[in-house]
Amino acid sequence: MENNTLISKEIKTMELFSTFDPEEIEQIVELMQPVKVTEGECLIQIGQTANLFYINLNAHFMISFKDGRAFTLHKKGDIIGMATMLAPYQYKGAAVALTNGDVLSINGDDFLRLIQSNTNIGDKIMQKIKMIFKDHPPKDEKEVP
Amino acid sequence: MTGIEAITAHNGWAISVVGVTIVFTGLTTLALIIAQLHKVLDLWDQRSQLWQNFKNRTATQTAPTYEINLNQDINEAARQFKMVVDRLGQPFALPKLLEFAENCGLYRPCSTLNILLQEKMITPDGKGYYLWTTDKESEA
Repeated sequence: MENNTLISKEIKTMELFSTFDPEEIEQIVELMQPVKVTEGECLIQIGQTANLFYINLNAHFMISFKDGRAFTLHKKGDIIGMATMLAPYQYKGAAVALTNGDVLSINGDDFLRLIQSNTNIGDKIMQKIKMIFKDHPPKDEKEVP
Repeated sequence: MTGIEAITAHNGWAISVVGVTIVFTGLTTLALIIAQLHKVLDLWDQRSQLWQNFKNRTATQTAPTYEINLNQDINEAARQFKMVVDRLGQPFALPKLLEFAENCGLYRPCSTLNILLQEKMITPDGKGYYLWTTDKESEA
């Protein structure tokens, strides 16, 4: 319970959840699990079934692809594992933690169930995802980690 | 009754075996103690130094651990990473740089790479690859 309060405090400050009501935040927080990452840890691997996605809290990550291209994530609220929401539900990139830190993990199936059961949350999430892709359009499908 | 008969009648053989065993065990134990005595004497001679080491160890264990500030060594880290970059050529793949740095045994390659990225010594080329920024290098 205390954990959930801390998580909801954290996510309220994120741009991704800025438009959400407290009740909606509570529902999303129920799905979140805090995870500690250590420097050099590979959070997701290429080709792995994408059943979890992560929201960065204070770590730094390198997302790399098969062809050697890469980008780095440094901000709170950055999402890792967007492939969880896109067919064929396989990670296209690998995420390596560059520093120790914390992330929030969310089960993709549970998240999709929540979106389907609550259209308001679904709409808001889809708007945000659309904005993310608009700001950082992937050159091809390989760029969705 | 005298001689062998008397010995046998009064458990003489058993007593003699027990006696020999006791003496042998005692002498063996004594020999082992004497053989190891020099170590005990060495410890006694170094008792003050050992006590000091023990105190220091306790102090180290109770002291709070701090994140090592890599900024102090950033110039050295940059120099080492630059050598790897020179070998890779520019632009380079970031995962390759990290792999090489790990293989070369560089100290905490991931967090060092993160610092170099934050310091803009390593910058993206916009196509998914990275460049070593020369002017930042000279500043360092």
